[in-house]
Amino acid sequence: MSNMTMRLAGALFGAVALSSFPAMAEDLVLGASVQLTGPVANTGRYYKDAYQFTIDKINEAGGVKVGDKQYKLALKLYDNQSDVNLSVRQYTQLISQDKVNLLLGPFASNFALADSAVSEKYQVPMVQGGGASDQIFSRKFKYIFGTLAPASNYFGSTVKMMKELDPAPKSVALLYADDAFDVSVAEGTRPLLKDAGITVALDERYTSNASDFNSLLSQIKSANVDAVLVAGHETEILNFVRQAKSLAVAPKLYSFTVGVPSEDFRKALGKDADYAFGMSAWLPSADLKDKYFGDAAAFAEAYKAKFGYEPDYHAASGAADVEALAQAVEAAGTLDPKAVRDAIAKLSFDSLYGKIAFAENGQIDLPQTVIQVQDGKVAAVYGAKGFIEKPKYPMPAWNAR
Amino acid sequence: MDLLAQILINGVLLGGLYAVMALGLALVWGVLNIVNLAHGAFIMLGGYLSWHLYTYLGIDPFLGLPITAVVMFCLGYVLQRGVLNLIVRAPMFNTLLITFGLEVVLTYLAQLAFSADFRTINPSYAGSSIALGPVVVPVARLMAFGVAVALTVGMWLFLLHSRLGRAIRATAQNLVAARLYGVEPRHLYAMTFGIGIGLAGAAGGLYGTVSQIDPYIGATLTAKSFAIAIIGGLDNPLGVLVGGLVLGIIESLTVLYVGATFGDVASFGVLVLVLIFRPSGLLGKTA
Repeated sequence: MSNMTMRLAGALFGAVALSSFPAMAEDLVLGASVQLTGPVANTGRYYKDAYQFTIDKINEAGGVKVGDKQYKLALKLYDNQSDVNLSVRQYTQLISQDKVNLLLGPFASNFALADSAVSEKYQVPMVQGGGASDQIFSRKFKYIFGTLAPASNYFGSTVKMMKELDPAPKSVALLYADDAFDVSVAEGTRPLLKDAGITVALDERYTSNASDFNSLLSQIKSANVDAVLVAGHETEILNFVRQAKSLAVAPKLYSFTVGVPSEDFRKALGKDADYAFGMSAWLPSADLKDKYFGDAAAFAEAYKAKFGYEPDYHAASGAADVEALAQAVEAAGTLDPKAVRDAIAKLSFDSLYGKIAFAENGQIDLPQTVIQVQDGKVAAVYGAKGFIEKPKYPMPAWNAR
Repeated sequence: MDLLAQILINGVLLGGLYAVMALGLALVWGVLNIVNLAHGAFIMLGGYLSWHLYTYLGIDPFLGLPITAVVMFCLGYVLQRGVLNLIVRAPMFNTLLITFGLEVVLTYLAQLAFSADFRTINPSYAGSSIALGPVVVPVARLMAFGVAVALTVGMWLFLLHSRLGRAIRATAQNLVAARLYGVEPRHLYAMTFGIGIGLAGAAGGLYGTVSQIDPYIGATLTAKSFAIAIIGGLDNPLGVLVGGLVLGIIESLTVLYVGATFGDVASFGVLVLVLIFRPSGLLGKTA
């Protein structure tokens, strides 16, 4: 064996030794597959960062106590390249080869929908903060828990607010992408609009990742609707807003399921992001107390300092997932997945994300606060108790801004 | 009626953008017989280049197009001489493999360099529009359309009348004869690929002003460009313009009359019909 190969072998052995030793005995390993590359990588990173950040924080505080033994948390993370099939294979690998103890989720409903079949099959609980579609929780699965508010109710608070606006919007256009999350949003929103007495003048499904909204926007303009509700992905919302401007389409109000809370949305659009409504089940408020971080405001500050961008509800939800698993393991007093599963179902604790307590179907229910971009900042506009800050309404014409 | 007029305008403007995206792909395909699967990735790179020029140096995206095109041309020239020339005589499958590999490498390098955040090139006029009665014409799209037509006609004149253009066409038609007349194929291929990539770069700059850029936009843009190149035919840049316009108008009308999920069905349906009835493209010579 030449000197070079020897050294190489030595380095390899060293690497293996290094990576495997900490993972022995005292580690409680959480497995996840997240979109670090591919079209949804810009949201996937929230989960990677939030998972690692929370795990480090819990370990700093001594880790978790299971029975009378102290464990450190560890993260085993794969990049699913924004590919659902790969994600399913990686979760299978996490359980069957890597033998992780418990699972954290991927981002996005269509991923959680497919991946939860793996956790169910192997009876290893998964707490996920990336999939909100009601479909995930309507299959009577016992090992999937979700910390995003139900997709069907994303526009709930927005519709409520619309009734109290002056003048109240009378007609809306409802646009949604053709995937699990957005279809659930549309299905949930239709009855809400009907109960509110608002006419749905345009109800259109479009292809995910569509980049051309000119035809739909022209139809919206022609139908002269008061409000536009869009359930889609950030890239589509950006195209929608930019093209709305270039076609001078300005309804009294438009609201989007994604994008509005996240910093890169506002950065990409600049001043054109103003007036956009959205919703968030989480705002970094000091009122949300947390065992590990103190409160949500402190979490947001530390997060931004570490990663250089503001956390949004995706990140907070991901952090809450790690906390939920840590608390459940401590409550169960064992690492047995079935016992941990039962402990998760019984959880009830306050976190930086809000109160974590799962309903029978495994989903959490948090009220959605209506938010709006005002002068480049996100303002909380309407919550459970009515108006918080005055919404900028109606939206002026584009050339009058 | 107003709606229909608006939709047709939208379709035409979209078609112009499509055409400029497909122009480089068709050229490279026609002359080098390489279906460049990395074409969309080069559009993406051009977009990032324009974005940087605009954001950090304040160069207007339309004025910056020549810079983007020249830089991308150089990249294309070097890549052809250094990488693609190795397989220019190889079976089609090898060229697909290598350009696909290039696509993957460029995409992930772009994520490493620029992150997966969305970037928009947003000069003050990007969202403004001209009202023609009830019909609204977005300024940036109109300008992009103008550039597209200018580039297409320019390409056409270049191929017909310039010495280099004639050499390119000669090589595409008959390599042996072209060599006998003193054409040096390695240089010529690299020039052609460079021009193709330069055009892709310019398309990227235009794309960034009307849509947004992230490292992953390439694959869908390649597919679109591919369809347009086939619909328009490979031997005439004007065909690509026609192909782009046909596709843009059909997609827009489909969204209006059938539904927003059927845009792609319509465009690839047209592709299939063209392949059946006019396999060398709408303006191509009938075999």
